[in-house]
Amino acid sequence: MNSVVVKSKEVTLLEILDRVLDKGVIISGDVVISVADVDLIYLGLKVLLSSVETMEKLRGSPFISPMQEAK
Amino acid sequence: MIANAIVETDALEEFIEEIEKAKDCLPKKIDANPKTVEKGLAKLVLTLIELIRKLLEKQAMRRVEAGSLSEEEIENVGETLMKLENKMDELKEIFGLKDEELNLNLGPLGDLM
Amino acid sequence: MKLYLYGIIDFSNQITESIYGLEGSNVYNIPFCDIGAVVSEISQPIRDVTEGAVLEHEAVVEKLMANFTVLPVRFGTVVNSRDELFSMMESYYRDFKSNLARLHNKLEFGIKVIWPADKVKANIIRVLKKDEQTIESDNSPSKRFIEEKFEKYKIDKEFEAKANRFIKIIDIFFGKFAAEKKLEKLKTQNLLLDAVYLVEKDKQRDFKEALEHIKNANYPGFKYLFSGPWPAYNFVILSRQSGLLTDSQQTNDILDKVTQCQALVGANSI
Repeated sequence: MNSVVVKSKEVTLLEILDRVLDKGVIISGDVVISVADVDLIYLGLKVLLSSVETMEKLRGSPFISPMQEAK
Repeated sequence: MIANAIVETDALEEFIEEIEKAKDCLPKKIDANPKTVEKGLAKLVLTLIELIRKLLEKQAMRRVEAGSLSEEEIENVGETLMKLENKMDELKEIFGLKDEELNLNLGPLGDLM
Repeated sequence: MKLYLYGIIDFSNQITESIYGLEGSNVYNIPFCDIGAVVSEISQPIRDVTEGAVLEHEAVVEKLMANFTVLPVRFGTVVNSRDELFSMMESYYRDFKSNLARLHNKLEFGIKVIWPADKVKANIIRVLKKDEQTIESDNSPSKRFIEEKFEKYKIDKEFEAKANRFIKIIDIFFGKFAAEKKLEKLKTQNLLLDAVYLVEKDKQRDFKEALEHIKNANYPGFKYLFSGPWPAYNFVILSRQSGLLTDSQQTNDILDKVTQCQALVGANSI
């Protein structure tokens, strides 16, 4: 019984961490000192990659010409 | 305690395990410790290369599926992909990185993989 | 004294309830026009993420949630002074206002679903094996490489198609009670779905009941994790086009705070 309580606390904490550390209002700029400046590199990376993906979606697959795609 | 929010599940341990696993896929920061900075950077670079490699592989598979590759092309693509994979394995070993560590989880943006 | 920021609320008066936050400091509201930034004083920026601090942050945000619409701010956000806070509020004002309006009276819920990935995969392989022709063994290594990869590709593709189908079904149960949603597929092989739903307060009971309905549907090997209500962490959308007043420095010189507010509020209501 006790271990269930502990586990349930653990999962609650995981749910909270997922939100509190990564989500919500994330202010960028010189004004704000934030713990996690380093992960901005990855944020930037994600944005870059997502735009690659969007491009791919927009024009079909980059490696497949429209002719082949029509098959 | 905190949290008015309730968490309710029929499989606590399994969820904890999966959430932890999912978290590990997400590279959080570059490890900028002087002793390990090389590995940290290698990880970042290899993550990108691995992403592109998998992307190439997937595109190749789509073309195989569509039947749009000649025998000769299949030979070529196969050789290229095989060499690429071997090279990546070498690099991973040099820097002591595992496959899971090079997985770039793109989150809600959707996996490119 | 630096200010630690917990959230932005749709309220520009003093909070009557006494709330204590990080370092045990008193939590109070700093009004900016018709909204407010909820802060407490802090001696130094947060260096480390500790469990205690995270829980304290969350506890403050949840207390705010009980009385106001709140935009939760990410853990560890600290500004140096009131002036800096004001300039931040000014440049994000429009974003904050539109988010507060959108999230008014709404709560966030999380749904995670585990599915029997191994069984699903085994089934796929069994079906594929049935109508598979034997691979010629005299093929070149590179061709064999492609063939093996292609086998895997087919399995993965079918696996994903199955995942999509189940996610659609799950989303039918919950989606109808939600204003917005974000679904993430297969974060791990077993974690079929990691979803967050934004639900209106008076629909939260229906939403919760959807969990019982889906459990009653009895999909074998499926397990569910339901969590909430949360502050709407996952639904804050900042346009990043901060800076309603193009050159804030200059404007500061020309306008006093009151006219600035009128300008902001007026511009927003257009």
